[in-house]
Amino acid sequence: SKSEMPSYKLNYFDARGYAEVSRQLFVLSDTPYEDNRIPRDQWPELKKTMPFGNIPVLEVDGKQLPQSLAIARYLAKQFGFYGKTAFESAWVDAIADQFKDCLTEIRPFLFVAKSDGNEAEKERMKKEVALPAIEKHFGLLEKAAKNNGANGHFVGESLTFVDLLVSDFVGTFEAFLPGFSAPYPAVTSIRAKTIATPKIKEWIAKRNVTPT
Amino acid sequence: LCLLMPTYKLTYLHLRGRAEIARDLFHLAGVPYEDIRYRLDEVPTISESLPFGQVPMLEVDGKKLPQSHAINRYLANEFGFAGNSAIERAWIDAVADQHRDHEIEIWPPFLIHLGLEPGDRDSQMKEKIEPARDKYFTILENIAKENGSNGHFVGDSLTWVDLLISEHVYTFTQYFPGFLDAFPTVLDTVAKIQATPKLKEWMEKRPVEKF
Repeated sequence: SKSEMPSYKLNYFDARGYAEVSRQLFVLSDTPYEDNRIPRDQWPELKKTMPFGNIPVLEVDGKQLPQSLAIARYLAKQFGFYGKTAFESAWVDAIADQFKDCLTEIRPFLFVAKSDGNEAEKERMKKEVALPAIEKHFGLLEKAAKNNGANGHFVGESLTFVDLLVSDFVGTFEAFLPGFSAPYPAVTSIRAKTIATPKIKEWIAKRNVTPT
Repeated sequence: LCLLMPTYKLTYLHLRGRAEIARDLFHLAGVPYEDIRYRLDEVPTISESLPFGQVPMLEVDGKKLPQSHAINRYLANEFGFAGNSAIERAWIDAVADQHRDHEIEIWPPFLIHLGLEPGDRDSQMKEKIEPARDKYFTILENIAKENGSNGHFVGDSLTWVDLLISEHVYTFTQYFPGFLDAFPTVLDTVAKIQATPKLKEWMEKRPVEKF
């Protein structure tokens, strides 16, 4: 019942980034939560109050939980977006961790790409950082999607948090690397199916527009 | 009973590395598994058979699973080393991910310092290794204290994140005695973890690997 439901507060920047997957889990499950977006100038002070000095941090009845994938997995398990068997859940985790490696490698490019000016540096980072990371990791993601039957999901037959995680970042990457996803049709169809999910489609239409 | 248990196969290198937590879990649970170890130069020959082209890989009745934390979490859940509530499981995941971030920082300079990767050996300790250590182990020292200095990093029973940290401490204190003397609660917690009978037995008899 509503009175037994914990209160949830998600702390992050005004950005999609590593928090968006969790926002989408709240939206999909119709679970109310406080979407706390921290202004950048407040971050240095607030950083000291976060368990690992980073965000996102989820508060569950006031108790803090850091690390984006720990948060996403916790919510996904609660709300039913974590696969139907233990082995499916393990594959959701494996793909999410593989994708996180991709994000770690590509982050320096995104940082430069969304800042003003220095087109030469953006082009260099695109060639030396972004495209190699995409080629390495999206090849594996495409293989995983195909092995799952190219059915619009990375794992099993229903939406899991790794579909949400990858889909949103594909949108970000498309903006900075137009056409990058052409060699990855199974991944592209996961994104298409995910963002067409009614509650996600509605959320995308009304959420703050941010570059990342 | 044996007919009902899945057959397990773990594929990795001649290292403890990213597979040792899974090995620890099999031994703690008393579950047999095939412990396959390849030389690094042999990996390209099996790469096609690895879902993500990487090791470790777990096979459960022939079904493949890559990625060390996915493997660790799966086995921990099967064998009962995954915490006792949803929020505990989430905290285990959070510490494990923070640990992974730390490993990304500390391993490259560690390998350079050992002369296993190219780079300036002399500067790694002061400029990279010690700062990375201090940043992460300050967090772990607090976590161990806030968890009640009870011999575990999360909750009150052995979990896979205890093993993750224990193996890391084992390796780094082996190479650098005194490395973690500024973090006594961490050292005490790890000592208690390593005293767990089935783990202690495995640690004493397992193949000696570089790390």
